[in-house]
Amino acid sequence: MNSFFEGCPDRYEGGLRRPSPVTTGRENAVFRSAPWDAARAKLDKGLSTASERGVVYLGMSGGVDSSVSALLLKNAGYKVVGVYMKNWSRDLPGMKCPWAEDLADAKRVATKLGIDFKVFDFEKDYKEKVVEYMLKEFKAGRTPNPDVMCNEEIKFKLFFEKSLASGADFIATGHYAKAENGKLLLAKDENKDQTYFLYRISTSALEKTLFPLGEMKKPEVKAFAAKNGLKNAYKKESMGVCFVGEVGMKDFLREYIDLNPGEIRDVSTNEVLGFHDGAVFYTLGQRHGLYLGGGLPYYVVKKDLKKNIVYVSRNLNDANLWSRELTLENLFLRETPDKIPEKISVRLRHRAHLLPAKLILKNPENLTLNADNPFSSATLLFDQEIKLPASGQSAVFYSGDLCLGGGIIK
Amino acid sequence: MIYLDYAAATPVSEKALRAMEPFFTEDFFNPSAAYYPAKLVREKYETAKNEIAHLIGAKGTDLVMTSGATESNELAFSSLLTPVNQKVQARIQTPQNLPEVLVLETEHAAVLENAKRFSNALVKVDKNGLIILDDLKKKLSPATRLISVSLANNELGTIQPLAEIAELVRSERMNRLRRGNLTPLYLHSDASQALNLIDISVARLGVDLLTLNSAKVYGPKGVGALYVAHGVKLSPVFLGGGQENGLRSGTENVPGVIGFATAFKEAKSHFSSNRKTYEKLTKILETELKQSKIEPKFLKHKKSSLANFCPVCFPGLDAERLIYKLEEQGVLLSTGAACAASKGKKSHVLKAIGLSDAEIAGSLRISLGRLNTEDNVREAGRLIREAVDEECNRIGEGDE
Repeated sequence: MNSFFEGCPDRYEGGLRRPSPVTTGRENAVFRSAPWDAARAKLDKGLSTASERGVVYLGMSGGVDSSVSALLLKNAGYKVVGVYMKNWSRDLPGMKCPWAEDLADAKRVATKLGIDFKVFDFEKDYKEKVVEYMLKEFKAGRTPNPDVMCNEEIKFKLFFEKSLASGADFIATGHYAKAENGKLLLAKDENKDQTYFLYRISTSALEKTLFPLGEMKKPEVKAFAAKNGLKNAYKKESMGVCFVGEVGMKDFLREYIDLNPGEIRDVSTNEVLGFHDGAVFYTLGQRHGLYLGGGLPYYVVKKDLKKNIVYVSRNLNDANLWSRELTLENLFLRETPDKIPEKISVRLRHRAHLLPAKLILKNPENLTLNADNPFSSATLLFDQEIKLPASGQSAVFYSGDLCLGGGIIK
Repeated sequence: MIYLDYAAATPVSEKALRAMEPFFTEDFFNPSAAYYPAKLVREKYETAKNEIAHLIGAKGTDLVMTSGATESNELAFSSLLTPVNQKVQARIQTPQNLPEVLVLETEHAAVLENAKRFSNALVKVDKNGLIILDDLKKKLSPATRLISVSLANNELGTIQPLAEIAELVRSERMNRLRRGNLTPLYLHSDASQALNLIDISVARLGVDLLTLNSAKVYGPKGVGALYVAHGVKLSPVFLGGGQENGLRSGTENVPGVIGFATAFKEAKSHFSSNRKTYEKLTKILETELKQSKIEPKFLKHKKSSLANFCPVCFPGLDAERLIYKLEEQGVLLSTGAACAASKGKKSHVLKAIGLSDAEIAGSLRISLGRLNTEDNVREAGRLIREAVDEECNRIGEGDE
């Protein structure tokens, strides 16, 4: 699952250029040592005997990643049950929700592999836990990340619990990440690593989670799918939820949040440059959708929600966009504070480079491990100035390959 | 590939394709244009329309050409939007004063969704999918303005006794006149599925409105027609240049209508042989399927059904899995109704004939057509049986 910020390369660069995407065209390359064997070896390791490896409930979206995961698990000797999580099905004006097609694709793969298939209906929970939270955050002028919330509340909580109750020994997903002994680790494919979206999932779920793709790179996954005749090998990546995918968050929000016209002003001259239909729809660093005419692009650098004014600038170096310091709240730590080194790496958006920083926790003795800490607070001090992410987004901490947790940017 | 889903779509016949071709290129003119070559196109268009009309015992001027059955049905329902004599309306009260319509509970969504816009009641079917006439009588009120019953059902192929329904309609009209009730009452039927196998005559059926569909009779998709009996008042769905007697504005789909006419004519010439052929083929198929590990339940009404339909259910199995397994083998068929299946909704038709949830989930819709032969139907039957047996084994293993 990708963030809805995908395709907006101007945002959240974390002060550095985002890594260039994987070169395509290598999908059909022949790999000298088959990477899927390595993946399989990994799945073999440290688990019960091959004959009774256990039952895995695998979240299947119809996309190539979860489809390949299903085959890898099956080949490794697990009894695999594919599960489609129905989180959202409502079509909105101009937004055709792809759930029925995704479900059919997932079921088609499951049938082809001869594995059982189920549908878990989480629509009500998704609405309450993810959508309501998201709308509340946006209304407060922040930019939440629904994927982080969906993983924490739905996939690695409800799906995990329901799977175990239905007889699963493990759960699995097609995420690019590694789980070892309850620790969350970066995926082998650094470019596709999805731990950014997973830092808030519970350790108890992680202990029983398999990430079959943790040892594989995306081109290898595609090659494996093609080799095994999985029809969706070249299918567009599944986004799961319509508003996270093709049509976008802003159109979705306009269905749920009242429009409220206001001014767009130049941050330095205070001149009115244009008008917007609601300050909450705009995000710090945003460049598109301002309709301020030609010439150099303008960037959103500040929002005044009370006065409903969006401030913009043509200057990418505007002081509002840059800082060495970042305040975090609502921390989720995967390691005790004493095990967190002084120097850590921080990721400020999915697929962005890791940035060296120092983490200063406020009242670390009050922090609960592996849980939301709604009243917690911390400061990140970066070695260099960073381009500021929007509030509501996540900052995720790493030490080497190990994910230490993260927090929500204030 | 063995295609067994002719109720969903038919390939355009060679003849129809050839007949259409010149109207995309050299004879592309707008039939409403003033110059002579356009007049010739108009002539060919009207001839095609006449041919379609004659095939159902009507005149070309009785037809409104549309973009398909869904639009034809919408147009038929527009009869409810035409105003009725003020005096009549004041006397007859319906909920929210909406016009009243009766539709069969097993109708296609193109009828059911339309009915929801009005004050509607669903007429029940029996376990064979046949209309229960007593239920229709019971629900028919002095305010009913439209009855819509498809000629043949799109999931089961059940043929409805339209002539008997028409008889009821006639006597109701008489009763109304006797009581001074001037509320009009029309009978509409969607005949989309039936064009291939039933010799249709609007007079014999006694319908006022009849939906025709080119896509199910080896003609092009996106073409249909509505037969409108003399005196039936409709409201246009599209406004504009006033084509099709002002009921359906928009430049005429000349190649489409010519393709439809050609394909429909061709189909009619096959009527007599079709029935016997399909009866034989379905028998072969049934014989194969009966050898499955699960006893299949054949859902077709023996006496009154389209010969090319073979709806069957394997209770306890997941039909969708069978579809995916069979597509790998090159056998293409449907579960219940294609549109319902894709949204995960249970077929309302199978529910109406009293099938349990497990039976509905295990139901396949097989519909045969022109490219089926004894050999490929037997082969398809064997492959379906194998897929069924494989699924039985998978489920069996899970239970151990």
